[in-house]
Amino acid sequence: MCRNRKFIALFLVAASLIVCVAPFQAEAAWPEKRIEMIWHSAGSGGDIFLRSLAKAMEGKVPVPVIVNNITGASGANSWNHVARSKPDGYTIQGVSSTFIASPIVNNMKVSFRDFDAVARMFVDAVAIYVSAESPYKTLGDFIEDAKKRPGELSITGGTAGNIEFIATRQLMKEAGVNVSVVPFEGGGDGVIAVLGGHVTAGVGEFAEMSSSVDGGKIRILATFNKIPGFDYQTVAEAGFPQVTIEKFRGLIVPKGTPKEVIATLAGYFRAAMDEPGFKTYYESNHLVPAFLEGEAFYKVMEAQDKAIRESLGKK
Amino acid sequence: MENFLIGINALCSFDALLAIGAGVIWGTVGGMIPGINGTIAMALLLPFTWGMEPHVAVMMLGGVYCGAEYGGSIPAILIGTPGTNAAAATVFDGYEMHKKGETGLALYLSLYSSVFGGLFGAIALIFLAIPLAKIALAFGPAEYFLLALTGLSLICSLGEDNIFKGIWAGLFGILLSTVGFDPFAGSPRFTFGLDDISDGFEMVALMMGLFAISEVFRQIQSFDIHDPQIQAQKSDTSMPKWSALHKFYKVNIISSIMGVIIGAMPGAGATVASFLSYSWFKKSSKDPDSFGKGNPTGVAAPEAANNAVTGGAMVPLLALGIPGSNSTAIMLGALMIHNVKPGPMLFIDHPEIPYGIFSSMFVANIFMFFVGVACIKFAIRLTSISKPALFAGILTLVFTGAYAFNSEAVDVLVAFLCGILGFAMRRAKLPHAATVLGFVLGFIMEANLRRALILTKGNYWNVFTNSSITLALTLIVLISIFLPLLKPLRKKFVVSKTY
Repeated sequence: MCRNRKFIALFLVAASLIVCVAPFQAEAAWPEKRIEMIWHSAGSGGDIFLRSLAKAMEGKVPVPVIVNNITGASGANSWNHVARSKPDGYTIQGVSSTFIASPIVNNMKVSFRDFDAVARMFVDAVAIYVSAESPYKTLGDFIEDAKKRPGELSITGGTAGNIEFIATRQLMKEAGVNVSVVPFEGGGDGVIAVLGGHVTAGVGEFAEMSSSVDGGKIRILATFNKIPGFDYQTVAEAGFPQVTIEKFRGLIVPKGTPKEVIATLAGYFRAAMDEPGFKTYYESNHLVPAFLEGEAFYKVMEAQDKAIRESLGKK
Repeated sequence: MENFLIGINALCSFDALLAIGAGVIWGTVGGMIPGINGTIAMALLLPFTWGMEPHVAVMMLGGVYCGAEYGGSIPAILIGTPGTNAAAATVFDGYEMHKKGETGLALYLSLYSSVFGGLFGAIALIFLAIPLAKIALAFGPAEYFLLALTGLSLICSLGEDNIFKGIWAGLFGILLSTVGFDPFAGSPRFTFGLDDISDGFEMVALMMGLFAISEVFRQIQSFDIHDPQIQAQKSDTSMPKWSALHKFYKVNIISSIMGVIIGAMPGAGATVASFLSYSWFKKSSKDPDSFGKGNPTGVAAPEAANNAVTGGAMVPLLALGIPGSNSTAIMLGALMIHNVKPGPMLFIDHPEIPYGIFSSMFVANIFMFFVGVACIKFAIRLTSISKPALFAGILTLVFTGAYAFNSEAVDVLVAFLCGILGFAMRRAKLPHAATVLGFVLGFIMEANLRRALILTKGNYWNVFTNSSITLALTLIVLISIFLPLLKPLRKKFVVSKTY
């Protein structure tokens, strides 16, 4: 019995020493094991973004970087898993603006407040478009006609509660026009409804429709974000600088991850932006580079959270 | 023509053929397992395609897609559980045929119809991709609403002795479909504050409960362990004569046409196609009462339709660059990782991809025939398992599948409760199939009606008179509602006349 107690005491001393020393070692040697990046659905645009990023980090980071998918519950499983994992920088969650909207819409307990922001990498360019057969050539034409015929025109902005939808409503309010805003299940369904002439115009990700633009089936009236390499008029240039959307893609880690680890990670991601293979990926997918580190990215998420809550009338 | 040579050229390599073959096997096996549908089978395979050439990767996924749409019918016939949602309509008559001992005919007819539908879809894709895309675009919210309503009018004829039983059961299914995320207000409804069902009930769990678990309960209830007759079921599992299958070619042609058109419409999909073709043949049959009691047409129609969807579903992806279903969204992902973007320009920039897909769909369906025969030979052994072991096996498979689909424990509970519900409905002679139909079509109907009403500013009349398509569909709905109502009267009339 007595011997046992001595052993326990010795063990406790040893354990506390390890616990005290461990953080210093971890910081000094970070990273020392493989880094895992997680996305909630396999094969989606966001999954491909993470996998391309992991490929770009190969060789530049001393440890392997892998991508994993934790599916289910429209993202909640993945977000809960990462929020609860060890804040050591080895488990990273890839996110888009959906991560802000979905917890609010679905009343989830998990939110961006359970995480520390590492970096925003891109903004998905969002555009207002019409069918190529439509008489409208500019956003001004559309708004002018909408003023003449209140309630006659319609516009789709994807799923109810997503950020495009909110921006569409905000833009119509700023322009002072009465247009029916029709939600669809996804951006793709919206494009088809516009192509089929069932809805007058649509708001959606430029990447989703760029092939139809190239094919001469869709005309862009204006874009919410300046797209490099294109001279489309922006919504701000058309006279609505108050209406902005930043549909981001970024990376976050569980709350409490050491600041140094976050800074090192952000450095890796910044370096990846210049990697030629990754550049080809994001340029051909029309992602607008918009690198923002740590706190600044967190502020963007806070602002979007506020805008969505206001639009849905939720506290 | 030159382009087709490019396509065939892309196909004629060992890599491509191996990829399609492996894809078909994986898809068929995945489709057979309840809880794994085409989309999940494709998603699981996706990481393995990244090392491949883009056209080989997409050909492989195409093979998985075709295989999974067929594979779902095997458990539908043998254990009364659809392996995929799209095989739900096959349960109605396929499982009854198996119970009557016509197992071989049911299984091979389903394979024959699936291959027929798949090949039909592939040919339609080759020659009609552009006109099909136009049909898809002609369908707006009002048209989708009436399409769903046309499918729903089947519930009137599902309640055998009493059409109101069918209507009540169908309305209950629609009620279940309203639980969860409201498509317009962007908030959960009818969830009683439970987070677990804020996404709504999972269709896979619901179908497994209503079909499989309730059937096992029913059989257990009338089960006598001492009866030697039911230790194992006696059934004819031999391959039927070619002529016995081939006489369904007319059914298959009509179902395939419906499948291709519905497949080309984003948002409808294989489940809707199989239900619509089933209801079409039931309604237009001279003997509608034979459906649901083991009529082989009830197997041929949905199976040809859901495999023809594979060809149609490629239309929006390739012609418009927009995936119309979850399965084609995975293919879009596979192309995007290789920096290839589908759409009108694909035919010019990378002709080997669209034409390779066209020819690979054709080859995949021929492979599917041989894979299907092998799977049937294997699956048929289920019929020689003793009943207690079979029941235990089904329940294990079904609960595992319900969990595996979303990795959510709540789905297991939903499946179990739906099992009890289905059992109670069987006792009360309420058609549980009508509930499934209401659930499948309820959401499509509701979302599109509300969308159409926004566009017509709340005018219901304008929804029905929106276009010639809506007018035609309205007419079909009215006929199918009033025909069964008139039938008892007509019978009475005929009876009184003869006596």
